[in-house]
Amino acid sequence: MSSITEEKSQPAQRFDVGKVEDFPVGKFRIVQCEGRQVGVIRMADGEVHAVLNRCPHKGAPVCKGIVGGTWPPSAVGELGFERDGYVLTCPWHGFEFDLSTGAELFQERPMRLRKYRATIEGGSVFILL
Amino acid sequence: MTVADTRAAPKSDTDAALKVIDCDVHPTVRGGLSAVYPYMPKAWSRRFEQKKASVQSVALTTKYQHPNGAVVREDARDEKGNVGGSDPRVVVSEHINPCNIDFALLNCLQAASLCAALATTDESIILASAFNDFFLKEWLPVDRRLRYALTVASLDPQAGAAEIRRIGQHPQVAAVGLPLINVLMGSRYWWPIYEAACDFGLPIYVHPSGADSIYQGAPMACGGIPDSYFERYVTLCQIAESNVNSLVCCGTFEKFPGLKVMFAELGFTWLLPLLWRMDRTWRQLRHETPWVKKSPIDYVHDHIRFTTQPLDEPENPRHLGQLIEMMGADHLCFSSDYPHWDNDMPNQALRMLGPGDRQKIFYGNAAKILRLD
Repeated sequence: MSSITEEKSQPAQRFDVGKVEDFPVGKFRIVQCEGRQVGVIRMADGEVHAVLNRCPHKGAPVCKGIVGGTWPPSAVGELGFERDGYVLTCPWHGFEFDLSTGAELFQERPMRLRKYRATIEGGSVFILL
Repeated sequence: MTVADTRAAPKSDTDAALKVIDCDVHPTVRGGLSAVYPYMPKAWSRRFEQKKASVQSVALTTKYQHPNGAVVREDARDEKGNVGGSDPRVVVSEHINPCNIDFALLNCLQAASLCAALATTDESIILASAFNDFFLKEWLPVDRRLRYALTVASLDPQAGAAEIRRIGQHPQVAAVGLPLINVLMGSRYWWPIYEAACDFGLPIYVHPSGADSIYQGAPMACGGIPDSYFERYVTLCQIAESNVNSLVCCGTFEKFPGLKVMFAELGFTWLLPLLWRMDRTWRQLRHETPWVKKSPIDYVHDHIRFTTQPLDEPENPRHLGQLIEMMGADHLCFSSDYPHWDNDMPNQALRMLGPGDRQKIFYGNAAKILRLD
């Protein structure tokens, strides 16, 4: 988890947000945690990611956007496709974010999703706020 | 009250050192089409004679006729009464010399409108070459400061590319005049012309041809048909906005990294909000056109220039200076539009800017793309 997304003002608190099997692969489930809406998603490789359900652009419920891939920079008339399942596209203005890092894609000065550390222990998903 | 004489306006100390490239001077072929008949095969000149073809066919129709009777300044006529811009020696003595112009780019609208909409495809190929050879032989030898935007036949891009390869090496050819048709500039239709222009280090030069917003096949301003010269004139900039957007969105500058484009007499005060919108939309929807690999702001900065005439005139002239500061002086190149009614003279243009920006706009920016470095 990158340093940008860690909360440093106070020690992180750990929350049990549910059983692993309650989080479908490739789709966000929104949980309420300490007054915040947090989107939790289980990836195909078994990892879980937790994202504040608020787009850094204009506050949209970003976790309700498309989870899919992207078409990276390519030559004129050619189309590639990559990062399938690891790109979150905001439902409002279409900004694309890398779910692994939280960073807006292909920008020199990217916006970033607020991410939280998420782990699986004993069949349950935990997030640290 | 004394009315200023634009040519004789006193120069400041700054102006004494100011070098000037005038990116838009309009030559007129006196005598019309018959003057270029010697520069085409006889079969073609006889055809034009028999059908009584003439450059009068470029008239702006009644509704778009200039309300004062002519686009060309009446006071620009020479001593014999010839229309302004029809004698290269007069252009030199009445414009280039008194305005201390280092280079003047000639751009012939008679050829442009014929190629854009008024002639058939085959006629436009012949006419483009004839006009080009006319200027190469009868105008460019007159003064070393003259430069020429060769005209290409827009209706046949392969022929247009061949014309660039035929005369593009001429040392006084400085640009490829592309008469716009209703195909946006990002289209692959234009690729043969762009490829040839890049091979010769020539920019694509776009200027209203005179057919715009009037004739089927020419580019149209948005929303409907204007009802007067005034209304049409004000909306011509929309054509440039669409084409800047098209060039960027279609990845033209990724396909042709050396390509430069100059938009002439199409305004620039609209550019900044266009760039903001393009940049925002690219960040949002980039993946639809993944060949747009960086912000549209960067493509425009690196590849596109805009000439300054006709300068907009806010009540407070400093506001125009502030706008140029916001968009960056790199984008602009001075143009007079001599001898047309709405021309801007270098001694009076953009005086609110500092000497650094003025020198960029009056000389440096154009020198870099018109093979004048």
